[in-house]
Amino acid sequence: MKPLNLIALLFFLGGSVWAFTRSDRAVCEVQDVYFSAMSPFLKSGSKLEAKAHAFRQETRRSKELEVELQTVRSNMDRLAIIESRYRELENENEQLRHALNYKKANHFDLVATQVIRRQPTTWWQTVDIDAGEESGIGTQLAVLSSEGLVGKVDRIYKDQNRSSVLLLTDEKCQVSARVEGSPEVGILSGQRGRFDGNPLLRLRFLSTDAALHAGQKVFTTGRGGIFQPNILLGTIDSVEKGALDSEALVRPSVNFADLGTVFVVLTADP
Amino acid sequence: MIRYTFITILLLLAAFVAQQFMPSFAELYQSRILLVQLVFLCTAVTLEQPAMLILAFIGGLFWDAHCALGPHGGSPEVYTQQVESLHFGYSILLFGAMGLLMQGIQPLFRQGKWQISALLSGVVIFLYLTVEYLIITFVRGDFTLTKATLLQMGFTSILTLLFSPLVFGLLFWIAKACGHPIYPQAGRNRRRIH
Repeated sequence: MKPLNLIALLFFLGGSVWAFTRSDRAVCEVQDVYFSAMSPFLKSGSKLEAKAHAFRQETRRSKELEVELQTVRSNMDRLAIIESRYRELENENEQLRHALNYKKANHFDLVATQVIRRQPTTWWQTVDIDAGEESGIGTQLAVLSSEGLVGKVDRIYKDQNRSSVLLLTDEKCQVSARVEGSPEVGILSGQRGRFDGNPLLRLRFLSTDAALHAGQKVFTTGRGGIFQPNILLGTIDSVEKGALDSEALVRPSVNFADLGTVFVVLTADP
Repeated sequence: MIRYTFITILLLLAAFVAQQFMPSFAELYQSRILLVQLVFLCTAVTLEQPAMLILAFIGGLFWDAHCALGPHGGSPEVYTQQVESLHFGYSILLFGAMGLLMQGIQPLFRQGKWQISALLSGVVIFLYLTVEYLIITFVRGDFTLTKATLLQMGFTSILTLLFSPLVFGLLFWIAKACGHPIYPQAGRNRRRIH
């Protein structure tokens, strides 16, 4: 080997070791520098992707849209009935709370945002949203849609008013979950190597004799310090019994293939 | 030589910018064109080893900055088995290894057979994705290789490979503009024939 090549190789290895030994904070600083430099291009890229997405949506077959409209109409009628019933129950609940001197019902302080970029990396299930520090958003905040939990804020792009959301379908996004109508509690996360629009999630660490059945709803427990309790995650699809514990496959309540407006939970009343 | 190396570094940085405009194709298992890796691979075969390693360091460092996920959140008492992601800095080594592979066929490239390098870039992209996936599997445990993952890697390699003639064309143009012969052997052979 030529001496110059050897010296270059040694410098290269030294640089690699330097990068490997960076702390999380130092990595964030490197990322801040990188994304600050990319900021103008990221904005244009997001706009382009949003336009392409809108175009794809528009070109969907009209027949498909007709069917969807029909379904939406019937759902709306059904929801109107449910809503009137809900109002009655709310009033009744309010009266009972007053009577029992309970605290006011919990509520979230939400920021509405738009998904502006989908899956910017190869392996991680993430999306970018158009709200960041300026909107009061920080990392590790829950992100919801009207259908349920979407994920959590993973990274804030400094001085850009945009953030990256780690989706519930990613293996790294873990949520403490409970199954409705049962004492079962486990950890819900995405599965590796699932790239279809709505992949099933895996609910692990359930008891060996977990008496669960398909269709049961799964909610957040509120434990773990990130996600508020009672947010809908999905419904049980199937249960796999193991020797030490059981696992369930959960169909997410959110349509991840068609994320538009999502809400970041800034604070929730205790 | 220095001017050519400097311009290839700028070209790699431009590839990072262009990568921001490359969406993933949901219909093709979220595959995408890996322009940064492609520009690096095509450039690596035209450079000497020290310059290639500088490019590998810049490419790997910025690629990790582009992809690295944030730290874990939540109580470790509840989330006892936290899922690790790829460590910052791993891409530098992967870029270096890819560059060395490309330089392995540098003698053929210097004979003017750039098409072989173009084909190899697709193969190396596939290897790169395979190694990345294996590292993820090693770090997280529980080996699972789905058909979707294989197809994603395959489509990404093919889509990226299709762009390699364009990148080589651009490199030849830059080399000509800089007066830097990137395959001198071919030139010598031609002179011998005449």
